[in-house]
Amino acid sequence: MKKSLLILLLGVLAVVLAACGGGGDDASGEAEEVEVIGEDLEDATELTFWTFVGQHVDLYSDAAERWNEENPDKPIKLVAETYPFEQMHNNLLLAIQSGQGGPDMVDIELGQFPNYLQGDIQLEPMNEYVEPVLDNAVTSRFENYAKDGNYYALPTHVGATVMFYNTEIMDEAGVDIDSINTWDDFVEAGKQVVENTDSVMWNVGTEDWLMDMWPMISQQDSDAFDENGELILDNQTNIDTLQFLQDVIYEHEIAEVAPGGMNQSEEFYGYFSDDGAASILAPLWYMSRFLDSMPDMEGKIAIRPMPAWEEGGKRSAGMGGTGTAVTNQAEDTELAKEFLAYAKLSEEGNTNLWTVLGFDPPRWDTWESEEVQADNKYYDFFGDGIFDMLLEVRDDINTLHFTENTPEVISEFHTNVTQETIRSNTSTPEEALKKAADAVRAEME
Amino acid sequence: MNETNKKTGSTWIATIGFGLISLIILFPIIGLLISSFRPSSDLMRDGITFSIDFSSLNIDNYLYIFQEAGSYWSWYGNSLVISALTIVLSLFFSSMVGYALAMYDFKGRNLFFVLVLLILMIPFEILMLPLYQMMVGAQLIDSYFAVILPLIVAPVAVFFFRQYATGLPKALMDAARIDGSTEYGIYFKIMLPLMGPSLAAMAILQGLGSWNNFLWPLLVLRSNDMFTLPIGLATLLTPYGNNYDVLIAGSVLTIIPIVILFIFFQRYFVAGLTSGGVKG
Amino acid sequence: MSSPAQETDAMVRDKQPNKLMSILNSKKVVPYIFVTPFILSFVILTLYPAIHGVIMSFQKILPGQVEWVAFRNYERVFNPNFYKALSNTTIYVVLTVVILTLIPMLLAILLNSKAVKFKTFFRASIFIPALTSTIVGGMIFRLMFSEADSSVANQIVHLLGFDSVDWRYNAWSAMFLMVILASWRWIGVNVLYFLAQLQSISSELYEAADIDGANAWQKLRYITIPHLKPITIFVSTITIINGFRMFEESFVFWETSSPGNIGLTVVSYIYQQGIGQNDMGFGSAIGVVLMLIIFVISLINLIATGTFKRGDE
Repeated sequence: MKKSLLILLLGVLAVVLAACGGGGDDASGEAEEVEVIGEDLEDATELTFWTFVGQHVDLYSDAAERWNEENPDKPIKLVAETYPFEQMHNNLLLAIQSGQGGPDMVDIELGQFPNYLQGDIQLEPMNEYVEPVLDNAVTSRFENYAKDGNYYALPTHVGATVMFYNTEIMDEAGVDIDSINTWDDFVEAGKQVVENTDSVMWNVGTEDWLMDMWPMISQQDSDAFDENGELILDNQTNIDTLQFLQDVIYEHEIAEVAPGGMNQSEEFYGYFSDDGAASILAPLWYMSRFLDSMPDMEGKIAIRPMPAWEEGGKRSAGMGGTGTAVTNQAEDTELAKEFLAYAKLSEEGNTNLWTVLGFDPPRWDTWESEEVQADNKYYDFFGDGIFDMLLEVRDDINTLHFTENTPEVISEFHTNVTQETIRSNTSTPEEALKKAADAVRAEME
Repeated sequence: MNETNKKTGSTWIATIGFGLISLIILFPIIGLLISSFRPSSDLMRDGITFSIDFSSLNIDNYLYIFQEAGSYWSWYGNSLVISALTIVLSLFFSSMVGYALAMYDFKGRNLFFVLVLLILMIPFEILMLPLYQMMVGAQLIDSYFAVILPLIVAPVAVFFFRQYATGLPKALMDAARIDGSTEYGIYFKIMLPLMGPSLAAMAILQGLGSWNNFLWPLLVLRSNDMFTLPIGLATLLTPYGNNYDVLIAGSVLTIIPIVILFIFFQRYFVAGLTSGGVKG
Repeated sequence: MSSPAQETDAMVRDKQPNKLMSILNSKKVVPYIFVTPFILSFVILTLYPAIHGVIMSFQKILPGQVEWVAFRNYERVFNPNFYKALSNTTIYVVLTVVILTLIPMLLAILLNSKAVKFKTFFRASIFIPALTSTIVGGMIFRLMFSEADSSVANQIVHLLGFDSVDWRYNAWSAMFLMVILASWRWIGVNVLYFLAQLQSISSELYEAADIDGANAWQKLRYITIPHLKPITIFVSTITIINGFRMFEESFVFWETSSPGNIGLTVVSYIYQQGIGQNDMGFGSAIGVVLMLIIFVISLINLIATGTFKRGDE
């Protein structure tokens, strides 16, 4: 028996060795989940960065390279790691609870952000960098990450919500997209699409409410919470809006549930590439999803403002968003803050948000700059005029209201409300929203 | 004549029946194996399917994992080290306890055995939040130690070893004592080798548990280069990245070594379970 | 492992009479030394966290701020989501206990009969799914039961003349996915347990029955099944306990939030609340409630099966 134990250990050892031998160098992979910049620099301060969107890494690796050229006296070594959404946020919470194991810089999704503002706040205020630029920026996007006058994170974009239309389908259906001004127009156009083509007009998601419900209520000055933090999830505007979402599927039959539950899923990308639907409602940053996952759509997509609820109504909403914050676990918090501001908040950083990531930068003073207007892959894909449209809807963008219960609202909405009203049509929107609101109120005590 | 015909007939029916059952049970793994040669984004869109376009099969996913995916191999290494340590340590401690319970009369033995059964009933998940706080307090977060520690003394293994050792001849112990062996010498030199088959069986079960352990390492491991395979692979299940190549081929490569180990040790494994028996 | 072994070797070789040594080697002391590691680890890794968990369940825990909230967490436990989690878990436990006891028993009896050839091969192939992790196994099932029309499951459904099913979005199919994943992975292990017990039944019993002219059914009914009782208790107890602590089968399909909570289990609720919603105190309270539930059920199980009457031997 001793012999076979020995064999077992040898076997394990052999596999270990084989595994080590197999490991190649890891700095090159495009889809790598860990990326390191500045590895070869001596005395570089290591900055770890966690994100849940792999594409965001490009912005920081780009900035880190420039930083190391410009600041040879304080070089940095950036270690960027990408994790799935829930895992990253949960791990960050655990790290922050326990005061160890956290990153230096981290992307936190807007809806999750209130979780990190409880107790003694473990994020570093960024006021010294934020306050000077507020006058030239869409301030609501900064307020989203503020508490008691402290700005704890830097926004990634305005997230202006727009409509992406598949022009081929629209032409085939005989719809002029510039004539779609209101949601009523949208429904009429949808009927034409369903009648004349094999596609549906649109998709409602069940796991991503900032792709339908949230922008559509924000556009009517509603929200889940009002400015005083009172829960208004079940107010009449919201009920009517959810009714509209239910009706486009079951009453007008111009839409269907998004494959994969949301329009950011591999199933959906395949579906939309095969002309499954004629339009996508999404914030402008959704452009990068086209470039990465639906490259065949180049030249077929037109971007327009959202339909309004009535003539002259608001035609956009600022949606989604990721605040990048510096945690107090950073080895050198001052350096981390300085680098973060450099990468994301400076004029150059904001320009890069557009040129590297295709995001509408929060500082509108960069929108008409030469660099932003210069040709790039996004204009090639979607045509010119993106920023003209943005300037047009800039003032339509409302501030979103957050409380520490926002994550619960979102969770209730995704698990229960959409299930009962969108996917299965077993509850009326009023019942579903009232039930969700009651559940959240019970939490709020 | 008729009787034998009937016998061979039912033999064939039973054998073919089991063939079918085996095929159904192995189907998912075969499906994964074939699919791992398909372009990964197709796989995510279409799922595992009967209608495979065989001309699209290629080994790109494997090339990628061997050439590019550095962190996959560090996960692999972590899993191997953690599993090996868990097997060795847990077998060592648990077999000692099980052996003592079976072979010695001592005060509190029955109480002790009840305690083992009690711990068997407490789901680990209930202790997980306080244990996590403890690991934080001990500054063990993000270390191998944090993953292994709660697995070291496994009540199931204690239970099993106790049952197994009960069947060992006590006369050997007395003979060895007369020869001047210490109690420890008896254990390590005589009894432990006799418990061989049960050690092999538990090595496989403990190794499996550790190789596939998920929730606890998910809590205590933080940095990518410390992840174990299940945690690392789960990080690839995200719609925001394009890591499906690593996910699919990587999953196949996690199964292979453990299947080889199992086939290699199957004889001991079954012998261990069988001779131990579980005598309620 | 080698260093204590070498130490003891050295001790054996050392024939010098040594008082300490002889105490350490006395039959009274040795068993306690053998069980010490277990006692230590029990105190540190089970008893202490269990007590700490109970304390945490009365607290609100935020970074840098811990507040005593008395029974507030417990008042919140009994809400619709918890009931949903509990009912999902209970249904899951009932289904897996039935499936993972009866089917492996049947397969083991058949495999043990002389009628089947290639036993080793079949035994191995039934066991192989247990070698995959829930994450890998779950991913395979996710791909097989993808909502796409082209997935294996939907192709079969089409053959039977039905429409495609959104497997991950209906309550019934969600439960089906979790149960089939667990069954697939555990059947082989349980077959081995049953086989082990079957092989311990003395062949003389069957020979005696043959002499009495018993047929196959009678032998099964009066010899095989009664002898399988202890292992059946063992397997069903393990399955119940594993069922109540189920988490990964749900996580791999939906992470921690599923549509309509169709995949919510008690442990995933602990994870979701304790970690995802940053509410460790509440998570601990759910944990304490779950612990009580499991104790009660295990107690009922042990009493019903008469384990206590037999004592511990």
